[in-house]
Amino acid sequence: MKRKPYLSGAILAIIILCCLLAKVIAPFGSSEMDPAAVSMAPNAGHIFGTDAMGRDLFSMLLYGGRASIYIGLMAAAVSTVIAVVYGAVSGMAGRIADSMMMGFAELIMSVPSILLILFLQAIWGNPSATSIALAIGLTGWMNMAKVVRSEVRQIGKSDYILAAKTMGADFGYILKKHLLPNFISSIMYMVVTAIGQAMITESTLSFLGLGLPLTTVSWGSLMSMSESVLLSNCWWLIVIPGTILVITLVCITQLGEYIRRGNNRMHSNL
Amino acid sequence: MSKLWKGRIEYAAMMLARMVVLMLLLSIIIFVIADKCPGDPLKSYYGDGVERLSIEERQAAEARLGLDQPLPTRYGKWVKNFIRGDLGLSYKYKQPVSEVIGRMWTNTLILGGLAYVLTFGLAVWLGKFCALHEDSPADRVICKIGVISGNIPAFFMALLLILIFSVNLRVLPAGGAYSYGMSGSIADRLYHLVLPVTVLVLEHLWYYAYMIRNKLVEETRQDYVLLCKAEGMPRKTIISKSCMRNIMPSLLVMMAVSVPHILGGTYVVETVFSYPGLGTLSFESAMYKDYNMLMALCMITGLVMLVFNMMAKVINEFIDPRMQYEKTAEEVAGYEA
Repeated sequence: MKRKPYLSGAILAIIILCCLLAKVIAPFGSSEMDPAAVSMAPNAGHIFGTDAMGRDLFSMLLYGGRASIYIGLMAAAVSTVIAVVYGAVSGMAGRIADSMMMGFAELIMSVPSILLILFLQAIWGNPSATSIALAIGLTGWMNMAKVVRSEVRQIGKSDYILAAKTMGADFGYILKKHLLPNFISSIMYMVVTAIGQAMITESTLSFLGLGLPLTTVSWGSLMSMSESVLLSNCWWLIVIPGTILVITLVCITQLGEYIRRGNNRMHSNL
Repeated sequence: MSKLWKGRIEYAAMMLARMVVLMLLLSIIIFVIADKCPGDPLKSYYGDGVERLSIEERQAAEARLGLDQPLPTRYGKWVKNFIRGDLGLSYKYKQPVSEVIGRMWTNTLILGGLAYVLTFGLAVWLGKFCALHEDSPADRVICKIGVISGNIPAFFMALLLILIFSVNLRVLPAGGAYSYGMSGSIADRLYHLVLPVTVLVLEHLWYYAYMIRNKLVEETRQDYVLLCKAEGMPRKTIISKSCMRNIMPSLLVMMAVSVPHILGGTYVVETVFSYPGLGTLSFESAMYKDYNMLMALCMITGLVMLVFNMMAKVINEFIDPRMQYEKTAEEVAGYEA
């Protein structure tokens, strides 16, 4: 039996709640500078320390979490919708159309997704949290679409779908009523992991200076000041946001792992 | 010629045709997207001097680089040159693209290859160990550590390692592929590879180790394991001789599909460590609108990806002919990422 991930769920809930209530909890504003407290190590006044501009790291983390979590959820939602529709269409299509559609998915996967996101960002101009979430979602649906497609392929020829078709049901109806309930359990795990993946991508992009503009704080953009950190050895500016990010990601993975199908209950013969 | 061979040749021809079509599509997509991106390719050629060019000089420069022609003409020209093996001129390096890539690709190959071998070597060992001690404290601890290490973003792990080993302990270099004037020394190169390879391995290791562990754990539920045990075969031998052999097909597929993954992983790592390789190069070319370079790099990664995907498929179908046309390689390996 798998244990329910109470601890992960609780930690995740606390982190999300804190970020949502940032206005109440945060001791300072997200861009409030204090010239008297520049690059201070964690202390009583600033429990996570301050950066080179005298901003309170704890407050920035709370506000930044909003952007990071929003991007994670939004990107996962975008890629899930695309994957479900694309995969279902491909799964129901004939062999040639199916092969072409999967080929196209493979093609997009063959370009490193960071490059694709870079292009999308450049075309859209002025990056915002939503545009980044869209770009990440648009470049991350292929694996899920493959799973959806193979599941649909297995059930697409069933009699009840044929019956629904004979009675004049359109594709949307079949997808919603017959296909989705069948494959939802096998992609749930991927949906949850997609949230974490999107957060990793966002932080990587922001770190490389390709993500959110510096004025928008996120966990990733907090770590993009790394150069100065390495020079001045202000470890807390990197280690604390990173640790919070990793804790969140681990909790998300644990939840996903719990949702994952196929509990191994049989006894080992070894 | 037997019917079987005829079928196989036809099948191979079909796969090849599909690959050519896909590569062509890829080149069109990248070409159009790169063109639509705002930015000035002349800037990567002339640097900041581009602002001082007069309109006539500008037009002359554009004509010289062939940038004044409409998109389809430029694309047609690119394809014609590509077939002849001419990849064009890099605007930023002002050298033929093939020369710049020729200097860099071995660096990426060494980094990626080393990480690949280490990842799978360790993954098999760890997977076996965890399956052998399933649900023991050691297994649980390794699983927990693995989940954490797999969730640390590559750039963050790289930063942490640089902070510890380069900034504070000063034992390892923070970047580059070799010290100045030491490009020939293997020891110096290895010394510079320690941190990037560590990051790459830690980043991918658990993913594969966990998969191998789960496959093996599933395998130990089979009846033949009981038989082996009844015959008095040691547990270790059952795992490494019988069970490993049974999961070999999915392991091979996994290894084929993982090549592009690890290649993609080198991109971020190279950038963080400013390691001169294809990853750093593609970022540069995308940022500075170095079209010819970008096209060449995208074609290379695309080709690697397609070839290894195809290999995975062929391995599968060779081992289990039922797989033909039915499943993609990843599904067979239980590969979900």
